[in-house]
Amino acid sequence: MILLRAAALVALAMFILLPLAQTILLSFTATLPHEGVKVGGISLINYRNIFANPALVDALMNSLIYVLLNVALCLIAGLPAAYAFARYRFVGDRHFLFLMLAFRLTPPVVLSLPIFILFAQFGLINSPVGIALVHCLFNLPIAIWILESFIRAVPREFDETAFLDGHSLPSFFLRHMIPAIAPGIGVAAFFCFIFSWVEVVFARILTVTAGKPITMAINALFTFQTDIGLVMAMTVFSLLPGLAMIWFVRNHIARGFVIRT
Amino acid sequence: MKSHDNRAWFLLIPAAAVMTFVGLLPLLTVLNFSFHDIFTLDSLHWIGTEWYESIITSTRFHASLGRSLLFSTLVLGIQLPLGIAIALLLVRSGRVGLFMLLLVAVPLVVPWNMIPIMWLSLVNPDTGLAGRAMVTLGITFDYKFTALHTWALLLVMDTWHWLGLVVILAYAGLSGIPRAYYQAAAIDGASRWALFRHIELPRISSALFIVILLRFVDSFMIYTEAFAINAGGPNNATTFLSLDLGEAIKGFSYGSAAALAMVYFLIVLSVVRIFVAVTDHRKRQQPEVGA
Repeated sequence: MILLRAAALVALAMFILLPLAQTILLSFTATLPHEGVKVGGISLINYRNIFANPALVDALMNSLIYVLLNVALCLIAGLPAAYAFARYRFVGDRHFLFLMLAFRLTPPVVLSLPIFILFAQFGLINSPVGIALVHCLFNLPIAIWILESFIRAVPREFDETAFLDGHSLPSFFLRHMIPAIAPGIGVAAFFCFIFSWVEVVFARILTVTAGKPITMAINALFTFQTDIGLVMAMTVFSLLPGLAMIWFVRNHIARGFVIRT
Repeated sequence: MKSHDNRAWFLLIPAAAVMTFVGLLPLLTVLNFSFHDIFTLDSLHWIGTEWYESIITSTRFHASLGRSLLFSTLVLGIQLPLGIAIALLLVRSGRVGLFMLLLVAVPLVVPWNMIPIMWLSLVNPDTGLAGRAMVTLGITFDYKFTALHTWALLLVMDTWHWLGLVVILAYAGLSGIPRAYYQAAAIDGASRWALFRHIELPRISSALFIVILLRFVDSFMIYTEAFAINAGGPNNATTFLSLDLGEAIKGFSYGSAAALAMVYFLIVLSVVRIFVAVTDHRKRQQPEVGA
């Protein structure tokens, strides 16, 4: 029985690790002839080539910029909304939640055409602001739900004492509520970061000629003679933020997939 | 208890503004486009529900819908039981289980277009680990021209990508079960199945509803991965709904693309509606669950 269980665990680990192992293996293999390296040999040439290629470095920067912008937007818009949902009932609250749920689940490909047309009119194509905004479509609901669950865990008396002490809502929020739910803000920020980082449909259609994110820069590496080693080295890079996030939110992973109705 | 105060809407203004701009406005634009014949964006011709009629009666739409439904059914049929079984295994494996939980989460944070790239290089018969193993074993695996193999590759890849979601949510539900429940069940001499049916399943059922919802919607509209593997081939055997839509957009037939998009949005909306109704019903029956 114990043997069977161990076998199942090993099989699972193998299944998950196999594609990752392949990726890492290729990323350290020279797959195209380069100066001084034998094809098929083990080398760091792919990682060196990333930093020798300004387009790839730019892409890394572009991705970081719009992802961080998106996290900031989600927190700024999400915190007051989460507080409203955690503490009050109001006309239309359930409808607003329903709408957020619908947008959270709408596949990007459904809205990609009008978003492209709309954003073109506002000059948001090729700009990190455009991608940061559009990723709010699914990240803002997630941020609001996560933050709401943390705010609800704070007893109401906490708010009332502060109001009796003469705090206004904004000053109470900045000085007392935000420190009290700091872990929740961290969890929400990490999930927004990662969901924005892995999204590709919007990131692709909104970057026509410039501002390409890392994912699109990798796609652009596929040519007549693809340096698959370089592709895999970039893939390894694109994995690092996710791995860091898993470690930081390891006690809250399930929260990234909350659904509120 | 929450107090009733409509001034709470002031707190929602930033969120509502963002959602209106990136969600509601585009949605209304699609709705508007779907009733028009569009050559360029400056010349719209009202044609009423013609696009919808042609979609609903087109055999191509029916075939894609069928394929998408089949894919979602297979995805749920494989990933749900497998994920629950793994969660049950991990929750009893202590620290190893915790570590494995983090491991199965890794595929969830891989950028979506990297996943097909990784899997294609894995099954590559010249350089891939799995590809070479299959050549050695004498298995011919041809995902480009054999429909069954394309489907198998898509299903295995999707399971790799999303299994962690099922495991994580099921694990979260299971790890909250007090030890006393198991002790009581052991005293009663409950069978393993009875234990699962009456103690474990109720604890994870609300998490499982969320899993079903997320997995259904995502697999039903699978785009990036399916397109990268074989672009809907061979012979349209993996042309799912979203691939049809992608093609319509690339072909600049905005009117019909918009109508297709609306049909998909309505499908998603009905699924969400059903989900909300079921959750409400469950909340009324057992008020302590689903909070």
